[in-house]
Amino acid sequence: MVSVDSPPGRRELPYARTLLLPAILMAAATGAAVALVTEPARLAVGLCGAVATLLVITAAAEAVRRGRALRVLRAEHARHSAYLERRAASHHEEMVRLGGEVLPNVLDFMRRGSTPHEVMRRLGEIDPSYTELGEPQRKMIRMVCDIVDHQDSMRESAERSFVDIARRVQAIVHQQNKELREMEEDHGRNPEVFDDLLRIDHGTALIGRLADSISVIGGGRPGRQWPKPVALYSVLRGAMSRILEYRRINLASIAKVNIKGTAVEQVIHAAAELLDNATRYSPPGSKVHVTATEVQSGVCIEIEDAGVSLSEESRARIEGLLEHAKRGTDVQDLAHHPRLGLSVVGRLCTQYGMDVSLRASAYGGVRAILIVPSKMMTTEPGVGLAHGIGAASIPQPGPDALPGPKRTPKKRRPTSPRIPDTVSLEDDVPEVTEWTAGGLPQRRSRVKMPLSQRLAEQAVWEREDAEREARQAAERARNGFPAEPEPEPVKDEGLPPGHFIGAFWEGLKQHTGSTQAHQQSSSNEPAHAPADDEGNLK
Amino acid sequence: MTPPQRQRRSPGQEPYAASSAAGPPSKDDGTPNPERLFVIGGEGGGERADIDLVTLIVARADPPVSATPEQAALLRLCAAPLSAAELSAYLGLPFSVVTVLLTDLLATELVQARAPVVRQKVADRNLLEAVMHGLQKL
Repeated sequence: MVSVDSPPGRRELPYARTLLLPAILMAAATGAAVALVTEPARLAVGLCGAVATLLVITAAAEAVRRGRALRVLRAEHARHSAYLERRAASHHEEMVRLGGEVLPNVLDFMRRGSTPHEVMRRLGEIDPSYTELGEPQRKMIRMVCDIVDHQDSMRESAERSFVDIARRVQAIVHQQNKELREMEEDHGRNPEVFDDLLRIDHGTALIGRLADSISVIGGGRPGRQWPKPVALYSVLRGAMSRILEYRRINLASIAKVNIKGTAVEQVIHAAAELLDNATRYSPPGSKVHVTATEVQSGVCIEIEDAGVSLSEESRARIEGLLEHAKRGTDVQDLAHHPRLGLSVVGRLCTQYGMDVSLRASAYGGVRAILIVPSKMMTTEPGVGLAHGIGAASIPQPGPDALPGPKRTPKKRRPTSPRIPDTVSLEDDVPEVTEWTAGGLPQRRSRVKMPLSQRLAEQAVWEREDAEREARQAAERARNGFPAEPEPEPVKDEGLPPGHFIGAFWEGLKQHTGSTQAHQQSSSNEPAHAPADDEGNLK
Repeated sequence: MTPPQRQRRSPGQEPYAASSAAGPPSKDDGTPNPERLFVIGGEGGGERADIDLVTLIVARADPPVSATPEQAALLRLCAAPLSAAELSAYLGLPFSVVTVLLTDLLATELVQARAPVVRQKVADRNLLEAVMHGLQKL
């Protein structure tokens, strides 16, 4: 094939020689024929022979020429097909490079935060050789970038809608929690209703945790913010209250530290997921032990269960799962991971700088270790260690604080309906001025009444009071009592024990008829016994 | 989308007064602690001893190390006899939770419960008359 080029040059010379043989043969044949035929035919035969010779020479020349042209064409064709094969090979190479090197680099560049347009403009920055790519390749890169960008934005919007829905669920759960707490306080004295409320409360807490998980996986924050620092003990109990089998959790020796309000929810959620895992993958009767100790970098929460021991390979798998989650999980990935909780924990750990690891436990199960960094802790005083216990309820919390007579007044509004209306807990409770048809007290705030009217009414009351006192004094004078002012109306039922005896003796001294004195006092009693009604009944 | 709001059923309080006065504060004091009541009291199955609102409770021992904060606070409060209602108020816990806690403590014999001492508000008239007659005979 290589030697195709040279022959035409060499064949140039034998051109005449090739034609020579048929020409000589024809000439010889013509000569022989001329010699053989008779005299008169010689001229004609000679002419015919000459013509035939010329024709043969011409035909031969044409054949040789065509043969040469054919050879040239064939060489041309071979050259062309070789060129095409080279082209095809180089195309293949280019495609391999495009798929194996250029596109990954470009996509990587785009993932670092560039739009497809930007990527195309700054193609040379990725690798200078990329600027030499042909137009079709550039088009293809552009198209791939566009598609990837579109897919990314679609996934993002899907995640955002997940988070959005989770947010709404969280809001409802939060509201529900608040109202359930109120209901629990309102119905605290009815054990049946109360227990049912607690069950609903528990179910709501589980829903809330699920919503938090979805929110975290979608890239959002878990739940609400807490306004004040919360003690770690309360945080862990908060985590307990969000799992199904909280009774199996045993909190022992929890370090007395406070968690910052902004970090409380994250710790609660991570701990709740780990506790849920621990209770879920251990025998139903076994306990899960939780301890928390202060370490150099923060607080270390250890959760030990007595479940199936973690084999080396399953540990590696779970650690891999956590690592994967720490890098960031797609919502799409979750279909392959039944252990949703660990993904959530991994995600939370990456976002907030916590650390989690799983080890084999001395109980034979798994020991999960959650390290809360010290930046999440605070030295500020938090809310009381438990519900309302602490500064709010006991003046001096401590072993020597004896709550005796110096009790702080109750601040909380009474929720029990059985406190009689006549007992006023506060000084400025609106007074009963009217009664409804059903016999219930109709109360009106004083503030609703204009000041002038109030003053006028007060004047009327005072006048009536004065008149009645004058009348009573006159009556008493008629009955033989000294006209002294009426004794103080009985304020409370807490009278000193000797009061009646004293009054009794006084009566004896003043009056000889003892029974009459008794009747007198008992008939006088209703006039001033209920202190509230004095002068206010119209 | 806001869920329906519950009207607080607070006896002895006018509806408008409750909505205007108790609205803002309940927002921030709502639940300062993340734990729910069922974790403290135990849900459902917990047995309740026969404790009345006025049953007097008195502690018999110092709180053990293993006691929960609520139990420890309860034992400290009960150093002097206190009624169950008062305990409920001081702890800020509903009465039903306090009964569950008290049941646990009663079972471990850390507290003692006793019926309230009934004090008559008004002295019995017959008694007074008898006293009077007795005194007159002196």
